Amino acid sequence: MTAAMVRVEGLCKRFSVPRREAGLRAALRALVRREYRVVEAVRDLEFSLAPGERVGFLGPNGAGKTTTLKMLAGLIVPSAGRVEVAGFTPSDRRPEFLRRVSLVMGQKRQLSWDLPAIDNFEFNRVVYEIDPVHYKRRLEELTALLDVGEVMRRPVRQLSLGERMKCELVAALLHGPQVLFLDEPTIGLDVSMQLGIREFIRRYNAEHGATVILTSHYMEDVAALCPRILVIDGGRLRFDGSIEALRRQIRPLRRVSVRAAALPDDPTAMGRVVLREGGRLVLDVAPERVPEVVGALVALPEAQDLAVQDAPLEEVMRALFGREEAAELG
Amino acid sequence: MSQRAAQLARVIAAVWRISLAEAIAYRVSMLMWVLTTTFPLVSLALWSGLAAGGPIGDYARPDFVAYFVAAFLIRQFTASWVVWELSGQIRNGDLNTLLMRPMSPMIYHAIQNLAALPIRCALALPIGVVVLVLAGGLAWPSPGSLALLGLSLALAWLLNLAVHVAIGCLAFWVTESTALFEVWLGLYLVLSGAAVPTSLYPAGLAEVVRALPFHASLGFPVELAIGRVTGSEVTHGLLLQALWVAGFGLLAAVLWRRGVRAYEGVGG
Repeated sequence: MTAAMVRVEGLCKRFSVPRREAGLRAALRALVRREYRVVEAVRDLEFSLAPGERVGFLGPNGAGKTTTLKMLAGLIVPSAGRVEVAGFTPSDRRPEFLRRVSLVMGQKRQLSWDLPAIDNFEFNRVVYEIDPVHYKRRLEELTALLDVGEVMRRPVRQLSLGERMKCELVAALLHGPQVLFLDEPTIGLDVSMQLGIREFIRRYNAEHGATVILTSHYMEDVAALCPRILVIDGGRLRFDGSIEALRRQIRPLRRVSVRAAALPDDPTAMGRVVLREGGRLVLDVAPERVPEVVGALVALPEAQDLAVQDAPLEEVMRALFGREEAAELG
Repeated sequence: MSQRAAQLARVIAAVWRISLAEAIAYRVSMLMWVLTTTFPLVSLALWSGLAAGGPIGDYARPDFVAYFVAAFLIRQFTASWVVWELSGQIRNGDLNTLLMRPMSPMIYHAIQNLAALPIRCALALPIGVVVLVLAGGLAWPSPGSLALLGLSLALAWLLNLAVHVAIGCLAFWVTESTALFEVWLGLYLVLSGAAVPTSLYPAGLAEVVRALPFHASLGFPVELAIGRVTGSEVTHGLLLQALWVAGFGLLAAVLWRRGVRAYEGVGG
């Protein structure tokens, strides 16, 4: 049993937020006496991650996933509890710790706007004390994988969002971090770019064994990248396991669809009818009844396109959080 | 230990290179900035006009020219703008990037500030020369006092930097830290010697004004540059500068340390 790369015990974060009513009078009153409201962003989190794991934090906006990520990266100090990453307490922000981790934020640029990315890379080489031979090899490897050989010589401000994000990834990985924190890395990117970045992260993880922790709004990102997911909602850990296990826990019904010349008179006896249109029938069926239902559907005249699937991920998320959040899918 | 020092030197050189490249990229906005900080030149026009009829205190017309041209240049040489950068980074979360690097964000800001100074000076010097040619007259310091002037400029720059960092750090707790800086700037314009040489203040008041950090950050090095302070006054002035640097440096360090603990890492 290898030691955990990330260990979190009883982790809490409370913010006090100034509170006031709307309007001028309230604004004036707030000048004299500010009232604060305590927001518990993260409550009593507990988990640990092994080296090389790819883990996704899922949850609606304001659920506490980014706050948790920032505590792991050492940017914000926990209110209570313990965090250990690569053997360090992140909030001490010791140089030895910072050289072992990297944080990429999709909504924040970290590269200097007016300089070519290559200048930023060179800067990182010095700051992270990367051995020149290593640096050259890694730069070649990363730029080839992400196809930014030309792009990195143009000022960052002239790059498209996708090109910039690729350069951000290169900058974040040059020093070979053991732990990679990714906060919404594919936000705003088109589908093919999302797929490219996703594939790159998977490959990087496989080849270098770095632990990857990801938060994303795009459920597909998390589902495709992370064998393990942590669902955080209201600052609490609500689920820890594989995406399949989550799907089956939240939506145990299997989705069975078929096309036939004639459909059964009363399909409600087989399961919940999702769609019945023309010659097409879609049903949600209890797992133990799937063989029986499939048997009946295959027997239909000219039956074709029979499929049995898990419930779509966005429905799982909507059911889990009961909000529209999950509908924002890429 | 020497290994760490060597690494620090390499980091400083790297920040210097990247900041210089950035400063060159921003040269036009920097020229605008130099032009908007010509306040001492406005004072120059005003005071040399008033002194046309005869000296004011111990300042004749050419003395005012020398004083305010030196004030304009020294303000450029010792300028800081960290308060805007730092408070902005704290409020919008850009500080995250600096905090994730294995180097002190404070060193980064200091070097970045320093690296832009040569460009600012290159932009400001011609303006100073033009004003001198138009107005005539300047007594430059003797070579012997140049070393002391250099020291005084370094202290003035450090003092400005420490004030900027200290006020900038207030953004960890309040949204309007730059408004507080405007208050500081208002006092600075009146009390530093940018508008009036502080020696022209009425007796009693002048002594108080000349002991404040505002004078230490501008008035004193200006007077040193034009040879108006001599002997024990020089030592006294330098000590006072060092004292203010230590005071504000300590304040800035405490506020930074506490601020980072209170930081909420907003955004993204």
